[in-house]
Amino acid sequence: MLALTSIIGTVLPQGESLQFYLENYGPFYFKIIKTLHLYDTYHAWWYLTLMGLFSINLIVCTIKRLPYTLRLFKRNYLDLSKDDLLRRPFKAKWEITNRNNLDQLKEKVINQFLQLVGKVKTKEDVDGGKLYLSEKGNWSYWGVYLIHLSILVIFAGAIFGSFTGFKGRVMLLEGESTDHAIQMDTHGNVKKIPLGFTLRCNNFKVDFYPNGAPKLFESDLTIIENGKEVLNRSIVVNSPLTYKGVTFYQSSYQSVPDLKIRIVSSDGEQKILDLSAFDKGLWPEKRLLIGIIKYLPNVHGAPAARVYVGDATGNQGDAVWLLQSHDREIQVGKDTFRLSLISAKEKFMTGLQVKKDPGVWLVWLGCAMMILGFGIVFWVGHKRIWLWIGQDNNRLEIILAGQTNKNKVSFEKEFEKIKEAINKQVGE
Amino acid sequence: MHLSSSYILSLTTFVYLGATAIYLLYWIFRLEKVGILGTIVTIAGFIMQTAGIGMRWYESYQLGYGHAPLSNLYESLVFFSWVTILVYLVVEFKTRNRVIGAFATPFACLAMAYASFSPNVQDSIQPLIPALQSNWLIAHVITCFLGYASFAVACGFGIMYLIRGDSRKSSSYLLEALPSRKTLDELMHQTIIFGFLWLTVGIITGAVWANQAWGTYWSWDPKETWSLITWFVYATALHARFVRGWAGKKIAYLSIIGFVSVIFTYFGVNFLLSGLHSYGSS
Repeated sequence: MLALTSIIGTVLPQGESLQFYLENYGPFYFKIIKTLHLYDTYHAWWYLTLMGLFSINLIVCTIKRLPYTLRLFKRNYLDLSKDDLLRRPFKAKWEITNRNNLDQLKEKVINQFLQLVGKVKTKEDVDGGKLYLSEKGNWSYWGVYLIHLSILVIFAGAIFGSFTGFKGRVMLLEGESTDHAIQMDTHGNVKKIPLGFTLRCNNFKVDFYPNGAPKLFESDLTIIENGKEVLNRSIVVNSPLTYKGVTFYQSSYQSVPDLKIRIVSSDGEQKILDLSAFDKGLWPEKRLLIGIIKYLPNVHGAPAARVYVGDATGNQGDAVWLLQSHDREIQVGKDTFRLSLISAKEKFMTGLQVKKDPGVWLVWLGCAMMILGFGIVFWVGHKRIWLWIGQDNNRLEIILAGQTNKNKVSFEKEFEKIKEAINKQVGE
Repeated sequence: MHLSSSYILSLTTFVYLGATAIYLLYWIFRLEKVGILGTIVTIAGFIMQTAGIGMRWYESYQLGYGHAPLSNLYESLVFFSWVTILVYLVVEFKTRNRVIGAFATPFACLAMAYASFSPNVQDSIQPLIPALQSNWLIAHVITCFLGYASFAVACGFGIMYLIRGDSRKSSSYLLEALPSRKTLDELMHQTIIFGFLWLTVGIITGAVWANQAWGTYWSWDPKETWSLITWFVYATALHARFVRGWAGKKIAYLSIIGFVSVIFTYFGVNFLLSGLHSYGSS
């Protein structure tokens, strides 16, 4: 189900404004899209419910298998008879008769076995002999639980992060500072998130390859806390800056005009205004307001700007194009003004992605657990090697048996090594 | 003619085409010498391709860009083909069965043909844009493509399994040469496990990288979502085997479905859907 519904989210563009869907898909589909939150599928209530159901399903299925795993884990592999041993996938048998030093040989074989396998469990009186068992990797049955747990840990990390963290943006002109990030939701509502400190952009640099592709975006940032500069660092894409859990990522930039405009009024007075993109220029005495609408760095070799010129009350006004060294006259109310663009400079504005995600460590922990879990499930086998040794009068009987559930090839080598070692002892 | 890396790489297409043909001949005529020739040609192609990739890496330094050849669709196709051959050679060495070559080398040949001759794929070396300037690029691409290539080989096993299918009823000359159903089943399972592990690591390295570059480890970008869908398909196949004891035919179908999903994750997403991974589409 999750896989199928996820497809919807890949086919339909996500996170656009509602207007976008109405225009592109028509009113009928718009209703469906809106009702089912398909514009943001992966955060829709029904998708999150599916995720929840998936988690519950995961937990239930895992618990259901618990008794089965416990049985496998706890099973006592000493409760086997001689015949059982001979039915194992790997086995070898020796019978030695009419020899003087059988006691000694028995001792030697047992010591050899212990030396090769390490720790063993033993049981006396098994069909008249003694049974030794070396068991390794029986904990590997828990690997699958580690994997399932890892998925829940990742989910927990994501949920924890979404409740305790935030994601926002910061746009800063060179030299500008801010103490908050901006967050915008799909409905266009803007929210200010305080950072708890001040961030200043000292400088922004952009560099291109000869073919015009971007090569480098770099912002030189300073963190200021309680009026003191505490940290200064340059960030580029792929190398963010983290301070007090808040991380700043280089994500975009804009070039912003900085214009010098001379205005001469009809009575001969003049004023020079410095105008930057998001500021209004004011000439209070003449009740004149001016602002940049659009800026083009190169129109027939000179910069040009479309500016709004109007009455400071905002009632009357008009927009005009100004081209450097071409004066323009404009009438505002009864006055006529002569405007000229003296110079235009470009300033950069850096776009930073801001994020605080205290849950991310849980996510990475989950990922590490998952990889470790795969390692266990796919490669660690439950290896069992038995040695049964029984003696009556002049007859010594030895059985070596082995079993594993994974990686039979390497287990076979291990088994053959022990078999050879015993062969050697017996052959003497 | 100037001997460029893309020229050498386009030649490997024909070497792999030759290898495919020889393996097919071997399958039909079962002459040991033909089989050995197939292996030799494949290894020769592999060496040539390795040299081509190395040259391309060197050329990128000469152009002043200096990056591993894993940055766009062309380079990823070449790498996919390279890993497929590598995985196949390991399988051939382990199983000593050369008929498998007739099912694995075509994937490598098709990928190379598409990379070298499709007008949609640019083979020029491009500089790395800032988002791609990270060591995670290499880790991410290599792990993902190890996964993809293993799934391609697993899909080959799935097809072989289905072809072999009812061979017990009408034991034909051609089908006899294929590995036994039990072997195929086991090989399919092993390659799926191998691919699944790498796909998982690939998704995780992608998440780590995305977190470093954009501040989000998971953005539900179409490629991410489709890789998750693919992951679910193979997770289903593994669970079906471990828990329900599915084997053989059903797993073979799942292995083919899984590979279709891989192909869509790889190409479909690039061409049909937009998203963060758009560098892969030119």
